[in-house]
Amino acid sequence: MTDCGCDKAKKDLEEYLHHELLANEAADIREHIANCASCADEERVGVVLIEAVQRACRETAPEELRLQVLTKIRQLQTHA
Amino acid sequence: MVRLMEPETVRVSDVDWAAMTDDLALSSDSPDRLFEEQALPFMDQLYAAALRMTRNPSDAQDLVQETFVKAYAAWAQFHQGTNLKAWLYRILTNTFINSYRKKQREPYQSPIDDLEDWQLGGAESTTARASRSAEAEAIDHLPDSAVKSALQSIPEDFRMAVYFADVEGFSYQEIADIMKTPIGTVMSRLHRGRRMLRDLLTDYARDRGIAASPARSTQ
Repeated sequence: MTDCGCDKAKKDLEEYLHHELLANEAADIREHIANCASCADEERVGVVLIEAVQRACRETAPEELRLQVLTKIRQLQTHA
Repeated sequence: MVRLMEPETVRVSDVDWAAMTDDLALSSDSPDRLFEEQALPFMDQLYAAALRMTRNPSDAQDLVQETFVKAYAAWAQFHQGTNLKAWLYRILTNTFINSYRKKQREPYQSPIDDLEDWQLGGAESTTARASRSAEAEAIDHLPDSAVKSALQSIPEDFRMAVYFADVEGFSYQEIADIMKTPIGTVMSRLHRGRRMLRDLLTDYARDRGIAASPARSTQ
């Protein structure tokens, strides 16, 4: 078992959370986090931050916009 | 009481567009039909991104409409089977930069990308453990409005990098293509943007006393 250590885990945490690491690198980080409360907390903050941004950014386009876009596209199709 | 009649206003979903355009002979695999089936469903997502870019609903609507018109005009150049979402976001981003950034209230600031302190997290290692788990709890309980206004307040390039990665789940390479920057710049923007966001949200939570009692074991 090789522990990548806190420094590497914290440095690569963001790439880890965004699935940008190679499988073996990600496995090292995952293993370290499983055994390190401090890095697990750091991971939790990272995950919660992503989720908060996702929640806040959910939007539905106004019906008016849908109609505008469809109308515009249909016009362009007719004149093509 | 059960309402049997729909309101008078015509909703887009109620319009039988296919029936209206039978004479256009939109066959099931015509480019026009494909565009409507494949590109238009991204409208909610593009609108959400446009709102984050322009920071106001009216400009966001104009931006999305312009994006779809350009995408329709360029549809023949889209290669089926490649990443449509990334293609649409590239058009959205280009359109924003060319048409809207100029008239934004806040003049465009060249980001401080060049600074080499992308390891901004120096302070966090000294933060006590208890406070970090409290930080996660606090961020988890923040109202959407607080998260939105924190996002609005960070520089545009950082904000959009965070948006593309965290909301849309684009890879760093895809973000680099959309924003036309090297991948190292994407990583830097993302790191700094997330750091700023985290600091703003943590401050907000502390000011409002959200999750002020982290010691769950005492409850």
